[in-house]
This record gives sequence, structure tokens and C-alpha cells, in this order.
Amino acid sequence: MLDLIASFISSGLGVNLLYTMIVIPSVLALLVLLMPKAKVSFRNLLFLLALLLNAALSLGLLKLDDMKLYLPWAGGEMGINFALRVYNFSQQIIVIAAFVALLVGLFALSYLRKKSYSSAFLFYYLITVALVNGSLLANNLVVMLFFWEALLAVLFGMLILENRNDTRAAVKALVLNGIADLLLMLGIIITCSLAGTPLMSEMRPIPLEGVAVLGFICMMLGALGKAGAMPFHSWIPDAAKDAPLPFMAIMPGALEKLLGTYLMVRTCFDFYQLAPGSSMSTLIMVIGAVTLVLGGAMALIQKEMKKLLSFHAISQVGYIVLAVGTALPVGYVGALFHMVNNALFKSSLFLSAGAIESRTGTTDLREISGLGRFMPLTAISTILCALSIAGMPPFNGFFSKELIFDAALETGMVFYIAALVGAFMTAASFLKLCHAAFFGPVKLPEGINREELKDAPGAMLLPMLALAGTCLLFGVYNKLPLSYIQALFGSFTAGSDFSGWPHSMTLVLISLAVLLVAVLNHLIGYHVTGQGVKAVDHIHYAPGLRTLYDAAEKHYFDPYRIFMAVVRLYSWICLAIDRGISWIYDVLFVNIVGFVSSVLHVFNNGSTRLYMAWAFSGVIFLILLSMLLR
Amino acid sequence: MPDQFSMLVYSFLGLPLAALVLFNLFGKRVMTKFYMPVGMGICLVQMLSAIVSLVLLSQYNKDAITFSQFWNYQLYEGASYFSPDTFSFLSLLCIGLVGLVTFLVAYPVLPDRRFQFCNVTLVLLLGMNGIALVYDLFSLYVFMEVTALSAFVLIALYRDAKGLEGSFKYLMMSAIASAFILTGLALIFLNTGSLQYDVVQAYLANWQNGPNPVLTQIGFIMLMSGFSIKAGVAPFHGWLPDAYQSAPAPVSIILGGIVTKMAGVYAIIRLVGEWLPGSSVVNVAFMFLGLLSIVLGAMSAIGSTDFKRVLAFSSISQIGYIVLGISSGSPLGFVGAVFHFFNHSVFKSTLFVNSAAVEMQTKTTLIDKLGGLHKQMPVTGTSNILAFLSTAGIPPLAGFWSKLLIIIAVWQAHGGVVAGVALFASIFTAVYFLMVQRKVFFGPCREEWKDVQEAKFSIRLASVLLSCITVGVGCVFPWILRFLGAQGWI
Repeated sequence: MLDLIASFISSGLGVNLLYTMIVIPSVLALLVLLMPKAKVSFRNLLFLLALLLNAALSLGLLKLDDMKLYLPWAGGEMGINFALRVYNFSQQIIVIAAFVALLVGLFALSYLRKKSYSSAFLFYYLITVALVNGSLLANNLVVMLFFWEALLAVLFGMLILENRNDTRAAVKALVLNGIADLLLMLGIIITCSLAGTPLMSEMRPIPLEGVAVLGFICMMLGALGKAGAMPFHSWIPDAAKDAPLPFMAIMPGALEKLLGTYLMVRTCFDFYQLAPGSSMSTLIMVIGAVTLVLGGAMALIQKEMKKLLSFHAISQVGYIVLAVGTALPVGYVGALFHMVNNALFKSSLFLSAGAIESRTGTTDLREISGLGRFMPLTAISTILCALSIAGMPPFNGFFSKELIFDAALETGMVFYIAALVGAFMTAASFLKLCHAAFFGPVKLPEGINREELKDAPGAMLLPMLALAGTCLLFGVYNKLPLSYIQALFGSFTAGSDFSGWPHSMTLVLISLAVLLVAVLNHLIGYHVTGQGVKAVDHIHYAPGLRTLYDAAEKHYFDPYRIFMAVVRLYSWICLAIDRGISWIYDVLFVNIVGFVSSVLHVFNNGSTRLYMAWAFSGVIFLILLSMLLR
Repeated sequence: MPDQFSMLVYSFLGLPLAALVLFNLFGKRVMTKFYMPVGMGICLVQMLSAIVSLVLLSQYNKDAITFSQFWNYQLYEGASYFSPDTFSFLSLLCIGLVGLVTFLVAYPVLPDRRFQFCNVTLVLLLGMNGIALVYDLFSLYVFMEVTALSAFVLIALYRDAKGLEGSFKYLMMSAIASAFILTGLALIFLNTGSLQYDVVQAYLANWQNGPNPVLTQIGFIMLMSGFSIKAGVAPFHGWLPDAYQSAPAPVSIILGGIVTKMAGVYAIIRLVGEWLPGSSVVNVAFMFLGLLSIVLGAMSAIGSTDFKRVLAFSSISQIGYIVLGISSGSPLGFVGAVFHFFNHSVFKSTLFVNSAAVEMQTKTTLIDKLGGLHKQMPVTGTSNILAFLSTAGIPPLAGFWSKLLIIIAVWQAHGGVVAGVALFASIFTAVYFLMVQRKVFFGPCREEWKDVQEAKFSIRLASVLLSCITVGVGCVFPWILRFLGAQGWI
């Protein structure tokens, strides 16, 4: 034991760091779970220690060059070794993940203070961190799948914490993600057999033809499912209703997006050769555009903060998918930059919702208004993040969106327009959110005393403000993230520099014009209805749209619902077939046998005359047969 | 083989005869006391002699022990009166075994009729032993009638209405059978001038070129129909369920266990299996009769409400398997049929012993009235399920192997459809037996049977002995098959 520790220390930041990233959060997670109820503060310290260690180690990872680790695992011919690899791509995503996880974890400690399930949540949280590290570090597709699937179990566990009696949302998440993971498994099988190795570092991009197309689509659908793009999105708004907000902030808000984008980019860039303008590229862009527009459209009409944010979590994935689908250097860079930005502002926004909920007990925008004077710092953080997500310069969202607009325009006007429509809806819905929640006349839910309402505690404000501040930093000094991201693609992006002010002034002006339209739209809506929360009602209740929105609100367009209807139909058919077969065995067969038996008993009634007739008929039969066969 | 050993064979006819004479010399009162030692002694000696003879036959590599003392010393050169071969000795072994079991069961079941029962049963044994030993068709017929007559008396042992009715039906059908057999024998004798087995066999091998092929054919059909009536092959089976059901319990054992087989199936195996293996007409005819018996017996058994009647229909079904095995015309089918002959004796006797036990303890054999007897009668219940499983052909019990051989042989000879029907019908076997087992032995015990005792010791002994044979033979069967293969019989 001592030798092991000594060798670990002597090797310093060696290859041991790779599995330490997985082992330390897992072990500490167990300790957190086992800690007695009386030692809450010690447990919290342990939890923070785990996250701090994770963040520190991730920074340590940055110092490593390309490094691989092989441990024999489920051996065999195919050689499923426990292969980990750290290189610049995984390094950066792990750092972002660790940073966000640390801040959201800090928030969670404060948020969960009075909840009964806090130990279980913190346990799941640390396990999630370990699994995310594992997924990002895995160099073997099978090993990656192992961590990827384990995340599904943790996801389910976190979803049923708050509401154990009604597990519908959790089951929905499980089914949708399960389907996506199943497709991913299929994709991994195809990819491994095409590449001839499960090791990612050994793979060379496979041209997209024949079976490779199927493998590519399966891999991409698996990644899209993790990221929450359509058609795997519909569990997120359902989960938002009940799940603890730190969960929403960390899983659909940040980590799942990071993982999904990571796999998407690797699939398009490392495993397969996705060519710009190819049909696969168009397909992915269409998925992205549809997700972007429909997610934004649904977010626009929400009057409940958590649901609004969760629809934006879907809509922002649309941007990323759209950008990856272009297969252009500017698209990849934009996608990764937007992924980072989204993790920052989306988790911060969810945390704001958590802060408001912990103070007022609700996040329904119809019940709260004018909170800005009671919770100024929360308001500032929310507004900063809202400006980021709406794409206002000089925030980070502006720069990543400009890159995506650039890529979309280069591929097709339709996609550019879709992206602009998405930007309009994002801006409009966040104008509504901020106006309704923080400005206007004061309105509080019943039971909340005006005098006692204070700003969120420091442990909540710190993460929110830190994330918001990072948003501003990454906007103003966008060279910092962009130089790292650009380095990932090596010669692919050489010769162009994406940092600094966007190159095309026209695009910037058009984007600003869209923002201006959103502001005007908000002002018109506010003027008509007199309430910030109803500022987009003129779009919601516009003729035609109203019917569509009603249907969407009733989940008529939910792929899960359609899928489940098909499943129910299928199970009904199977049941009918099964019943039919049972009927043949249990009823038809028995009745036939019973009937034959009763007929035979009629002919065996004890009459000697009848028996003789039987015997003589037998003789006649034998004679006839012998004549026939002669 | 030393000549002295052929003396062994006399025990099969001489012992029952001597016992019969002695038995009646001393009068009823004395002999009732010696009922058990006499009956069991004769049966045990018979089994022992049969086993020793079987061992001797294989030891000296002979086909049969031929001798012709007492009667008609030299008919012609090389002719003989008795010529038991391996199959005969196997039959004699079965007769001894079933006889032993019958005596064991009859002791507690028929306390008031021991003397009469023992007398008639000795005649019955004598008749069956004769069937197994003789070497010409007419003597076969004579012993068949001896067997049948004593069976009539045994069925009507109590002279009650039920017994007399069953006996009468058997008598009527046997009379028809006798007429058929005698006509058939006459027609064959017309052509051959002798009824010695070897002469008839030689003639049948080439009957189409004989003087009167049509008459021979009709004679053969008559003969087969007569034997089929005696054996209870469908559609000649009508009398069988009634006779079995109405007979006293021990008589059912010997009837179901061995009598119908010796009186009918034995002759069918001899004639069809040994002498006409290649004849397609006969094979197809017996294929149809066999399939009809299997299906009809199983179907009728499913609807029966009386334990003994189920067993009777099951006998028809199982005899169908034997006939089907014979109809394949191959050595494999022949061996399978002979083994099924043996196995059926064992497991059907077990079942009838158990039905006798149930009948004695509860005074009924109606399935619907019984229920949950397993707890009170564990030995009977357990041996019953073993026998059921053996009948249904579940490995590793004896019945599985013989059925397997038969079905393989049938598949080779008649194709998959016939074999499939035979296999499918064995599912029915499992169905009706599980039904009976569940209703009689399993489930909650009925109020009226709470105080039922386990069967008497001698009955238990009989069923345990037979169950041991079923399991034991099943376990050593692969070696038996290997031995038969080494002998070149299959």
C-alpha cells in the first residue's frame, strides 16, 4: 500500500492521474453517502473537498501531453482493454466540467440544506462527476459506452429523488436516453468493426459510404440523445417541474451538453469523414435547425421559469448541432465555443431560478414580479447571463453565435434564417423573463413577507456571479478559450483566426437588428398587455399559432408520446397474438380433445354388439387395405 | 450347452401343473395357509429359471433351446415341440414378475377367495407359459384358449353383476377371435400341411408363389384379426376397458400387465415381427392399427373418470406403440417393441397395483371423488408418478428408451409424419396421467380421506419392487443397448 502511494507520488502527475480522476470522486461519493446524518457539515466539507480535488486534478491534467493508459479488462480477441487517454480535447472539456461542477456543487449545498434526500443527491452528484470524467477520458469506445450508460442510471436516480411516487418523468428520461444509448451501442459496434479496433486513438476517419452511413447515424443519434436534441428532448421540460434545480443546472444544463458535443465532434471529425455539403451534413443541420427553432418557439410562450430555461437548454443544443453539421472549421470552433458558453450561462440561469425558488417558493412568472429590489445580485447575475444567451456584445454568447451564423450562412441561407429566428425568440423570451421577474410592480406569492425577503445567501450568489463573470470574461477576452479550441483541430483550422471581433460587419449588424426587433416586439407586447410576463402573448395567441401551441402544450408532438403510442399498439398486438395462442391451447385444443373423447366414449358404451361391429369393420379394413396395396 | 440345463425349461410347465395338483390334493383349508409360499415360490422359480436360461443362451451363443419330449416325439427330422428363444424367456420373465406381484397384492385384497384365486391363476400362468414355449401355431392357439378361459373365470371371481358382464364381453369377443384364428389356421394349414413355426415361416416368406395366394392372404388377415382382438388393438379393443375395469383389483394387474400381451401381442410379434419383416402390406396395415390404437386410446383415456379405466385405455395406447414398432419391420423396431413389451408389463402392473391400493383404502376408483392422497399414501403416490413418467416416456426411466427406439425405427420406416403423430400422442399420455396424478394424489386432501392409511405391506412391496425395476432398467439401458449392438441385433 505504502509502496503504491510512494510510486504514485514519485511519478507525480503521471499516467496515474487518469484513473485517479475517476477513482477519487467515486470513493469520496461513497464516504459522503455513508456519513451519518449528525455530521452534515463534515459531509459537506468532504463533498466540497472532492469537487476541489477534481478541479485541481483537472488543472493538473492540462499539464500533461498526449498520454495513454492501458489496463487489461474484459480481454478477448477484440481486446476490450481499459484504455484511457488524455489529450488536448478531453483536457479542456474536463476542465470546464470540473469548474462548472464545483460551482454548481457549492450552490447545491446551500440549496439542499433542508431537503431530506441531500446525502443521496450529493452521492449521485459526485458519481456523475466521476462518470463524466471517465467518459471523456476513455480511449476505448466500449469503455466510453460503459461510463455513458452508467450515467443513465445516475440520471434516473437523481430524477426520482424529489418525487418518488410519480416516476413518469424519470421513466420518460430513462426510455428516451435508453433508446439513444441503444443506438449508440449499435453505432459503436459498427464503428469498431469498420475501423478494426475499439481504440479511438487508432482510428482513422472512415469515408461515409455503405454501412458506415448507418454507423455514423447511430453514433450521432446517441450523441444527440445525450445532448438532448430532438427527438430525444422531451424529457427535459417534464423533468424541470420536479427535479432539484442543481440537477437541472448540472445535467441537462452543462455536463450532458459537454458529453454530447464531445462525441458529436469526435464522430464527425475523428471517426468518420463528414464532408461539408454532403447529405449527412445536411441531415444533421436540419436536426439542429428544427431543434433550435422549435425549442425556441416553445420557450417563448412559457410562463414558468424552469420550463422556459429547459426549453432553452434544448434550443441552444440546436445551435451546436447546426454548427457541427456544417463540418466547416468555423462551425466546429463555433460549436465548441458555444458548448462552453452554454454550460456557463445555462447553469447559471438554472441556479438563478433555484435562488428565486428557495426565497419565494415558486418560479412561476405569473406569481412573482419586481424581485429586483429585493434580490439585486440575483437580478444582476440573471441579466448578465440573459444578455449572454441572447447574444449581446460583448458577452461570450455573441461571439459564439456569430461564428455559428457565419458557418450557417456559408452552407445555406435557410439555416442562417433559422438561426436568426432562434436568436429572435431567445432574446424575446429572456426579455420577458427578466422583465417579469425583476422589474415592474412588486408581486409576491402568498405567505412571503415583503420585509423578510432578502437576496440569496452568499453560497448561492458566489457560483451564479462567478459563472456570469466568466461569461463576460470569455466574451471580452475571447482569445483565451478560442485559442485553446482552435488548437484542437490542428492544420484543419490553420490559417484563420476566430478570436477577436467578428470579421464580417454585415453579419454583426444583422444580428443586432434582430436583437432590436426583439426589443421592439417586447415593447409592443408590453404596451398592449401592460404586463412583462404577457409581452409575447400576441405571438402565442396569434391566429394559427395558437392551435399549434395548444397541441404542443398537450404533448401531441412529443416524440415520446408518439413512440409510446406505437409501443402500446405493438404490445396490444402482441398480447392479442399471445391470447390467441393461449386460446388455441387452453380452449380450442381442450375442447377438440374433449369432444373427440366424448365421441369415443359414445362408441365405447359397453354394448357387445357395437364392439363386434368395431371388430368386423377392422377386418374389412384389413381386407380392403390388402387388396389396395397388392 | 449341457443337456441338463434344458431341464430348466420343464419348470415353466411342470411347476404350475404340479402345484395345481398338490394344491387340490390337500383341500381348501390347508392350502389357504400355504397360498403365499406356493404362489410366490412358483413365480420366483420361474423368474430365476428365465434369467438363468437367458444367461445360458447368450453364454452358448444359441438362438433357442429346442426339445420335444412328451408329445409326438419325432414329427419329422429336426422338428420339435418346444423351442423357447430369447424373446420367449423375456416373456416368461415378465409372466413370473407380474404373477409374483399379483400374488402379493391378492393376499390382502382377496382374503376370502384365496383358494379359488390361486387355483385359477396357476392355470392362467400355465397357459401363458405354454404360449411362450410352444413351437407350432395350433398349440399356441390351445394355450391361448387356456389363458383366456382362466381369465374369464378370474374376471368373474366374485360372480357379481359387474364382473360377469365384463367376463361375458371378453368371452364373446374371444369367441369371435377363436373363430377367426381357427379359420386362419385352417387356411394356412391347407397350403402348408404343417403349422410348425419354421414351416409356416418358410411358406410365408414366399406365399405369393404358393398354390393359393388369395386364401393364404385371407387366412393371414383372419389370424391377425383374431390376435388383434385378443391383444386389444384398436378397432378390436371394445371389450378391453370394460373387462379391466370390472375385474377385481389383483386380476386387473395380471390382465393389464401380461395376459392380453401374451394372448395377442406375443403372437403378433412372432408372426409379423419375426416372419414377415419385409412385407409392406402387413407393415402398412399394422402401422394404421398402431396409430389408431395410440391416438384412440390416449383420447379416450383423457375423458375417462375411473382410475382403472384410464389405465385400460392407456394399455390400448401403449399396445399401439408396440404394434407400431413391429410395423417398422426393422430389427431396431423389433427390439424396441420387445422392450416396450417388457416395460409396459412393469409400469402398467405398477399402476394397477397402485389403483388396487387406492381402491382397497378408499373403496372407490372414481377420480373425481379422490383427491390429495399423496400425504397419506406417499409410497403409492411416488411409485405412481414414476410409473406415469415411464409410460409418458420421460428420461431416464425405462419407458423412455423403448419409446425412443420405436420412434426412431418408425421414423426410418414410415417417415416423419407417422413418428410425429406417435410423439404427439405421447404428450397426450402425459396429459391424462398428470391429470389423474393431480386429481388423485396431489392437491389438498379431501375431508373424507383424512384418515386413509397407507396400503398394506405386501402391496407396498409390490409397487416398490416394480418402481425399482423401472428406474433400474432405465438407468442401465444404455449398457443393454450396447450389449445388443455388440450381439449384432440392432
